Amino acid sequence: MTTTAFRPPTETAEPNTTAAARVTDDDGGVLSAAEWRRPRVRFTVGTAQALLFVGLLVLGLGPLLWLAKSAITPTADTISRPMSLFPGGFAWHNVSTAWTDVRVGRYFWNTILLAFGSWVSQLVVATTGGFVLSVLRPKYATFVTGLLLGTLFVPAVVLLVPLYIEIVHPPVIHTSFIDSYWAVWLPAGASAFNVVLVKRFFDNLPREVFEAAKVDGAGAFRLFFSVVLPMSRPILGVVSVFAVLASWRDFLWPLLVLTNPDEQPLSVRLPSIQPQTELGVFLAALFIATLVPIAAFLIFQRSFLRGSGLGGAVKG
Amino acid sequence: MKPARLSASIAVLVAASLLAAGCSSSKSKTTNTGSSAANKPVTISVASLIPGSTKEATQQFNNQVAQFVKANPTIKVKSVQYQWTGPTFAAKLAAGTLPTVFTVPFTDGRTLGENGQLADLTKEVKALPYFTKFNPGVIAEGTTSDGKVIAVPTAAYAQALHYNRKLFQQAGLDPNSPPKTWDEVVADAKQITQKTGKAGFAEMGKNDNSAGWILTTLAYSLGGRMEEGTGKDAKATLDNDATKQALQMLHTLRWDDKAMGSNFDWGWSDINQAFAAGQVGMFVNGSDIYTNLVQASKIDPSIYGVTTIPVAANDQAGVLGGGTLAAVRPDANAAEKAAAVKWIDFFYEQPLIDKTQAMRNAQTLIASKQPVGVPALPVFDETQYKLANTWIKSYINVPQEQMSPFTTGIFDQKLIPEPAASTQSVYHALDSAVQAVLTNKSANIDQLLKTANGVAQSAIQQGK
Amino acid sequence: MTRQQAVRAAGGRRRRRTPATWARNGGVTNLLFMLPMLAVFGAFSWYPIVRTVTMAFQHTNLVQPAEWVGWQNFRNVWNDPIFPTAVRNTLWFAGLALVFGYPLPLAAAVLMSELRRFRGIFSILAYLPVVIPPVVAVLLWKTFYDGGSNGVFNTVLGWVHLGPYPWLQSSDWAMPSLVLESTWANAGGTVIIYLAALKGVNRELYEAASIDGAGVWKKVFHVTIPQLRGVLLVTMILQIIGTAQVFLEPYLFTSGGPNNSTITVLLLIYNYAFGNSLGGDYGSATALSLMLAAFLAVFSLIYLRVTRAWSD
Repeated sequence: MTTTAFRPPTETAEPNTTAAARVTDDDGGVLSAAEWRRPRVRFTVGTAQALLFVGLLVLGLGPLLWLAKSAITPTADTISRPMSLFPGGFAWHNVSTAWTDVRVGRYFWNTILLAFGSWVSQLVVATTGGFVLSVLRPKYATFVTGLLLGTLFVPAVVLLVPLYIEIVHPPVIHTSFIDSYWAVWLPAGASAFNVVLVKRFFDNLPREVFEAAKVDGAGAFRLFFSVVLPMSRPILGVVSVFAVLASWRDFLWPLLVLTNPDEQPLSVRLPSIQPQTELGVFLAALFIATLVPIAAFLIFQRSFLRGSGLGGAVKG
Repeated sequence: MKPARLSASIAVLVAASLLAAGCSSSKSKTTNTGSSAANKPVTISVASLIPGSTKEATQQFNNQVAQFVKANPTIKVKSVQYQWTGPTFAAKLAAGTLPTVFTVPFTDGRTLGENGQLADLTKEVKALPYFTKFNPGVIAEGTTSDGKVIAVPTAAYAQALHYNRKLFQQAGLDPNSPPKTWDEVVADAKQITQKTGKAGFAEMGKNDNSAGWILTTLAYSLGGRMEEGTGKDAKATLDNDATKQALQMLHTLRWDDKAMGSNFDWGWSDINQAFAAGQVGMFVNGSDIYTNLVQASKIDPSIYGVTTIPVAANDQAGVLGGGTLAAVRPDANAAEKAAAVKWIDFFYEQPLIDKTQAMRNAQTLIASKQPVGVPALPVFDETQYKLANTWIKSYINVPQEQMSPFTTGIFDQKLIPEPAASTQSVYHALDSAVQAVLTNKSANIDQLLKTANGVAQSAIQQGK
Repeated sequence: MTRQQAVRAAGGRRRRRTPATWARNGGVTNLLFMLPMLAVFGAFSWYPIVRTVTMAFQHTNLVQPAEWVGWQNFRNVWNDPIFPTAVRNTLWFAGLALVFGYPLPLAAAVLMSELRRFRGIFSILAYLPVVIPPVVAVLLWKTFYDGGSNGVFNTVLGWVHLGPYPWLQSSDWAMPSLVLESTWANAGGTVIIYLAALKGVNRELYEAASIDGAGVWKKVFHVTIPQLRGVLLVTMILQIIGTAQVFLEPYLFTSGGPNNSTITVLLLIYNYAFGNSLGGDYGSATALSLMLAAFLAVFSLIYLRVTRAWSD
C-alpha cells in the first residue's frame, strides 16, 4: 500500500514545536479542560487509564520479567512452580551453559554479522538509488520508480520460492549461494520501501544547495558524498534502525538458505535447539536473544516509535 | 522420519565411527575395488561430524582422515560438516553442496535411489569381501527394486519400549518385569499416572512424520501393514484393522485412562528429553536412543529400562526396524565412487567387523565418557554381531542388566522394514490421524484413516 | 525544472543524441549510481516475480530441465484435500486477529491520548512486545501455553479456579491461542500508529462538538473515529494482508497441527516447496503463491473501491 493515506514524517524536522505548543494549551485529547474538571469524568477516565497501565505493565513487562527470572531459576522449579519466585534458589549457570555449551555466543555473533551486512547492503542501495532517482533524475527515472513502487504491491510470499531456487541455482553464475551470507545480505538490499523513503527525503532537500554546489564545479560524486549524505543523517538513522531490526527478526529466509547450523543466526537456531536443551538453559538463551533489541529500543525509543508509525503505513 | 531423530542417530553413528580409531592394519583390509583409475589422484569430500561437535571429536575425526590418506596416498579427503534434515537435504542435493559421501536414513534411501538421486555403487560394494555377510534385510534397504546397490548400511536398530524404572517402582510395579502385551502396557500406564501423576505412556505426536512413524510401529506389532506392492504401483493400506486397533488403544489411553499426560505434540528429541527428566513412564522409540539420552539429556542411568515392543500373537505381527545408510553423490565419477566406497569401508564398516578397530572404538568412547554397548541390531549377521560384542565386552559401561529385557528378546522378534514406497508421505498422512485422536475426544478413527489412506495413495502414485 | 535538465532538454531538441553526448551529460554517472539498485532489484525482486509466473506453469525438480505443464499445478493445489482447510484456517486466523487486535489498540490509544503525563511510559510498555524478536516471543509463549496444570497460564488461571486449558494441544484451542500471541506481539505497533494519528485530529472539531453539547462518548464516535477513518481503513487492510501471509506462529507453535487445525496458506506453500525430503513441489508452491497474491490484489481493489465512499 502506498503512503498516500498518511504521509510518513520523514521530513524529520518534524513540527515538534507546534505539537509541544498544542499540548500545553490543550492536552491533545478528546476531553476539554472543562470536562476534565468534572469529577465523574475525571474518575472514570482516570480509572480506565489506571487499568490500562496495569494491563500494559502485565502484558508488556510481565513476560520479560518472567523470562529474566526463569533464565536464572533451576529447570525443575520452573517446571513444577513456574510462577514462584526462586523457590529453590538460583541457577546462574543456566546463562553460562547457554552461552558456551549451547553456543548462543556463536549464534549471537552470526546474528550480528547478518544484521551488519544487511544494513550495509540496504544503505548502499537506498542512498545511491534515492540519489539518482531524486537528484540526478535521468530520463528513465520515472520508469524505474514505477517498477520500484510496483514491487510494494507484491506480497512477500510471491518471491519466496523463485528467490530460493535462484539462490540454489543462480542463472549465469552457476555457483550456489546456499550457506553463504551473501544469500541473505544481497536480497535484503532489494527493499523498495527504503528507496522510496530516502527518495522522498531527498526530494525535500533544498534544490538551491545542489545548484550552488554544481556552480562550484562539484560533480555527481562530490554532490552525493559531500552534500547529500551529510544532510541525510535523520533518514539514514531511520533506515538503519529498520534494517538492523528487520534482520534481527528475520526467520524464514535464513532458515532456508543457511543450512549449516554453524552459520545460522539466533532466530533460526533457537527453535532447533529447543527440543534438546533443558528448559532453564533454553529460557536463558531466549533471554540473551532478547537483550540486544530491548536495549536498542530503550536507547533509540524515539526512532522506534516514530518509525513504527510509518513502517505500518508502507509494509505489506 | 523426523529430521532431528535422524540427525541424532547419525550423530550417534558418526560419533561411534569416528572414535573407532583408524589403525594402520586396516590397509591390508581395505579392498581393491578394481577401478582402473585407482592410481590417479582423486579428491573426495566426506560428511564428518554434525555441527557443534566437540574439539576432541573433531581432532579424532581428523586423525582418522590422516590414517586413511596414509593408507590411500592417491586419495585426498576433505571433511565437511553434515547434518541430515529433510528440507535442507533436497536443497543441498540440488545446489550440489552435498559432500561426496554422506548418510541418509533407511526411510529415504531406497526412494532416493529409485529416483536416481544417489550414485549406483553396485560394482564397488559387491567387491567388498564381506558383502555376502551383510544382514539380508539390512542390505535390502540400500538396494533398489532392480537390484542396484545405492547405499551401504552402517547401523541398524529396532523399535523398543523404553520405560522409567523409578516410576514403575513408585507406581508399585516391578521394574524387572516390564509389560509383555499391549493390554499390560495400558494397565501399567494407567497405574503410573494414578500413583505418580506423570504421563504413564507418552507418544510422539508431532506432524513431522514422527507421529506416523510410531503409529506404524504400533500397527506392525499388531500385524498390520501400511502398503502392498512396491514403487508407484503400491497400494496404500493405512486403514487396516491393526492401525485402527492401535489408534483405538491410544484413544483409550488418552481419553478414558487419561494416562498420556498433557502434551501431545512431542517430537523425537523432546520426548527423549522429557523421558530423561522423569516425566514419562513408557514410550516407543528406537533401541539405540540411550546414547542420545546420555549425550543430550544426561539421564540418570538407574531409571533407564528398555524392553521389546509387545507383539501380538499372529504371524504377521512384528517389530519395525530402521537404520542409517552411507551414500554417494549421484554425479560422482568412477574414480570418486571407488574412493568413496574405500572411505565407507574404512570409516563405517571396519569398526563393525574388525576386532582391533572395534576395541579402539570402545576405548575412545569410554575416554570421552560416551556409552559403549547400546543395544542395536546387526548390520551383518547375528554371529558377527555377537562376536563383535564379545570383543568390547570389558568396555561396556551401560546398565546392561536393565537392557536385558530387550537384548534377550529382540532376536526372537520378526523384523519388518519401513513401508517402502513414499515412506515419509505415508507417515505424514498418519500424523494427522494420531493428532486428531490425541486432541479430539470425538475423533472418528475410521474416517480419519480413510482420509489418510487417500492422501497416502495419491502420494505413492506421484512418487512423492 | 533544474537548470541542468533545462539545458539537457534544450540540447536534446537541437542535436541528435549520440552516445558521446549522453556520456558527457552524465549518463555514465547516472548509470553508476543506478547500478546497485538495478542489480539488486533486478536479481532479487523483478526477476523472481517473473519467475513465479513461469514456474507456476512448470514442473521442475532442479535436476532435470523444467517442463511446461499448463494449469496442472493449479489443479493439483485445487484438488489437494488440505487446500480448503488451509484457506479456512487462514480466514479464521485473519478474522480472529481482527476481533482481538483491532478494537483494543484503538481504545488503548484513545485512553493514552488523554494522558497529561507519562504518555511516554505507556507507549514504551505497549511497544515492548513488538521489540522482542518474533521467534523468541513465540518460543516463550509456547512455554506459557504448556497444557499441564503446572503451565504458566494454567497456573495463573488456577488462582481463580479456571482451567487447566489445553491451549495448543486441542484442535479447537490451537488457533485462538496462536492469534492471542500474535495480537500481543503486534498490537503495540498499531497503538503507536493510532496515537500519531490522534495528534492530527483537528482540535476545533472537539470544541465545536462541545459547544453543541456533545458528551464524551458522542465526541469519540462522532469526531475521533470519523477523523481517524483513513488510518483505521489502512491499518485494517494492512492487517488483513499481513495475516493472510501468517507463517511464523503456525510453523513454530504447532507446525500446522493438531490434525491440520492451524495449517495456513503460507504454511502449505512452505510444505509444498520445502517440507519433503525428496525434493520440493515448486510448481504447486508457486501456483498457490500466485493464487494468494491474486486474491489479495482483488480483495484490496474491492476494499479500496468500497471504502472510498467513506474515507473521502
